[in-house]
Amino acid sequence: MFSVLGNAMLAMSLLFGAFGIIIVSLSLIGDNDYRFLKSGRMAFLSSSTLVVFSTIILVYELMTSNFSIIYVAKYTSIETPLLYKFTGLWAGMEGSLLFWLVIQSFFFILVILQNRKKHPRLMPWVMITMAVIQMFFLILINFYENPFDPVQKGMVVNGQGLNPLLQHWAMVLHPPALYLGFIGFSVPFAFAMAAIITKNLDAVWIQTTRRWTLMTWVLLTIAIIMGGKWAYVELGWGGYWAWDPVENASLLPWLTATAYLHSVLIQEKKNMLRLWNMILIMLTFTLTIFGTYLTRSGIVSSVHAFAATDLGIWFFGFIILIIVVNAVLLIIRRKELESKNKLESFVSRESGFLFNNMLFISMMLAVIWGTMYPIFSEAVTGFKITVGSPYFNRIMIPLGLLTLALTGIGPLLAWRKTSIRSLKRNFILPIVSALLLTAIIAVSMDLKMVYPLVSIGLMVFVSMTILSEFYRGMKARMRMTGEGMFKSLFTMIDKNRSRYGGYIVHVGIIMMFAGFTGKAFDKEADLSMMPGDIQTLSNYEITYVKQWFESPDSNPDTRSNHVAKIVKLDVKKNGKKFHIMEPEKRFYTDQNNQPHSEVAVKTTLNEDFYIVLGDVDLKTGLATMKVRINPMVTWVWLGTLVLLIGTLVSINIEEFFRRKSK
Amino acid sequence: MSFQKKFALVVVVFGVLVAAWISVEFKSEEVPFISVNDLLEKHDQFTQARFRLGGNVDDGSILYSDDKLTVSFLLKQDESLLPVNFTSAEIPDLFKDGAEVIVEGAYEEGVFHADNLMTKCASRYDEEGEYQTPEMEG
Repeated sequence: MFSVLGNAMLAMSLLFGAFGIIIVSLSLIGDNDYRFLKSGRMAFLSSSTLVVFSTIILVYELMTSNFSIIYVAKYTSIETPLLYKFTGLWAGMEGSLLFWLVIQSFFFILVILQNRKKHPRLMPWVMITMAVIQMFFLILINFYENPFDPVQKGMVVNGQGLNPLLQHWAMVLHPPALYLGFIGFSVPFAFAMAAIITKNLDAVWIQTTRRWTLMTWVLLTIAIIMGGKWAYVELGWGGYWAWDPVENASLLPWLTATAYLHSVLIQEKKNMLRLWNMILIMLTFTLTIFGTYLTRSGIVSSVHAFAATDLGIWFFGFIILIIVVNAVLLIIRRKELESKNKLESFVSRESGFLFNNMLFISMMLAVIWGTMYPIFSEAVTGFKITVGSPYFNRIMIPLGLLTLALTGIGPLLAWRKTSIRSLKRNFILPIVSALLLTAIIAVSMDLKMVYPLVSIGLMVFVSMTILSEFYRGMKARMRMTGEGMFKSLFTMIDKNRSRYGGYIVHVGIIMMFAGFTGKAFDKEADLSMMPGDIQTLSNYEITYVKQWFESPDSNPDTRSNHVAKIVKLDVKKNGKKFHIMEPEKRFYTDQNNQPHSEVAVKTTLNEDFYIVLGDVDLKTGLATMKVRINPMVTWVWLGTLVLLIGTLVSINIEEFFRRKSK
Repeated sequence: MSFQKKFALVVVVFGVLVAAWISVEFKSEEVPFISVNDLLEKHDQFTQARFRLGGNVDDGSILYSDDKLTVSFLLKQDESLLPVNFTSAEIPDLFKDGAEVIVEGAYEEGVFHADNLMTKCASRYDEEGEYQTPEMEG
């Protein structure tokens, strides 16, 4: 019953959206009739609210297990825990399209309400842009992938349940964060479109969307890392990043968005790079649609998947439309986009940002090439040429390290032109300490690997430059105001949040690099053991104690939907007691006994000890397992946390809420 | 030459270098995804050392070593059969008779030594008709 309502709401939303676009366009022709604009705004608010309500209905149907809806039957079952019934919303194609749409609609509502009395010239075009994006997804959902489609014949007694791999906290949070992180860019994109159409090409559109952009960027970052965390603990191959096309799809807009975050600073400060920033935000938005398309269409596994669904054609068409419209606008407005200020020196803040942009764009191209070439090659030659992690690592490690180096250099360069004297003053200490520490580490650890050494050196260098920035700023303030150390430190950060927040983000990035660098020192072993056996890997000693079996009958509370074979391992580190580890092999009874390895991980600050149970013969006790030592992994997660804090400082989140509550 | 032109030149040179570098690295790491039949008949025509193959595990062909760390099986695609070896404690969960698999590795004297064995990924939701109809009554 409700599902019919949900369906009708989606159809009505489409009508309201179309009506809104027409009437707002009418308001722009002729004498800017305010009444037209007002009813257009109401139409968009209605279309978006309808989407929100229909999503609430789908969630209700999922939670109450109404299996007369195909979607509910496909992705949940009676046994599915309530939380995962809810996350069923984004478990499949139809639901995740609706989820995409509802987030976009929610943002649309926010943007309209936030800017009711602001930007009268920009807002009509902002609304039209966002409405067109909304229409695209509404068309897909109404005509191709309707989540409310009823089961055609017969009655479904129980649904299929959610894939056990997706039943994990990181998979509860990853898709919403990723979608927020993708869709949020539609807001700065819409403002960019409005700016270019109405010729308001100074930094207003950038400043007004600054919070959106930063918030979206940090959510996208967290989403990518959370996806890695999920892969690390759920997929059992011991890593968090594999250059899988689906991962790459989320990285692509992140790379251009990061470039954009940096280059807009030049436009805000010097009104330069107006064309370039326009291109970057257009590219970022296009890549978010492209990323959604890559992950949802299945095209990466085979080009044949492309023709199999109409969805692929629609997405492809929409992407082409965005690119064509953007290109035409850029060409028409090329004169207005020219900047009066010019670059003056290679050694300046501006140039630093530009080099940063060149690196990010290079990384984006390398990733897109490695991801898409297999598809092109299959289309052209009939068989795929693929590349794996080695290709990506060989390109991305050096480019990443260069970017890290710029993280240290850039902020210390002066605007316009940097003098030799200030170069010396700013860089001698960081360079010397980096070289010294790297040399000490290289000798004491007998380390001869180039990239890890370079990485360590750069991490020290960048840390030192950031530290000295904080120190110098604090000292100057103490001298000026006579405040104490902490007071002047905090007021200094508070007075220049975007700058110092940025530095804190950089600290997070350094910590993440520490984690990435640890990858070079991974150790692993394939073990085959009988109960009582003892084996070693590096300084760890593993004693295989026993094996046993648990089922819904023996453990109804913890194992309601699966049976498990478990082994107990007593692990010692450096001869001392370390941890009892119990990796499992599970079989999900509500999923045709789909097997699943539950890894055992013991995390410490400097390394993870990671065991995956391959299989265990319950009778003889013969067990195979993969054992890994993964150094520094925790620093990736910790770095992400610091990055989040830095972004929040930069956004000035407290002030935002203070203002809201007034 | 004005500074703007100089900078543009640097950007262009950088771009060309990066593009050349990307294509060189790509060439050196590329792994053709070919059919079992092509590998058996034309493996000496390929310059690459590593290949990626897809197919199904031939029924009843799975054999484990005593320590269960090495698995050998016959990869079947159309009518071609290829013996495959794979050594790892981590045999994918969905690996079994008839399973659709992708292997990556090197081909040596009639045997394919895989260092990567992937089964059709269950985490990708329902792409490519993975979806089976729920059990229905009536």
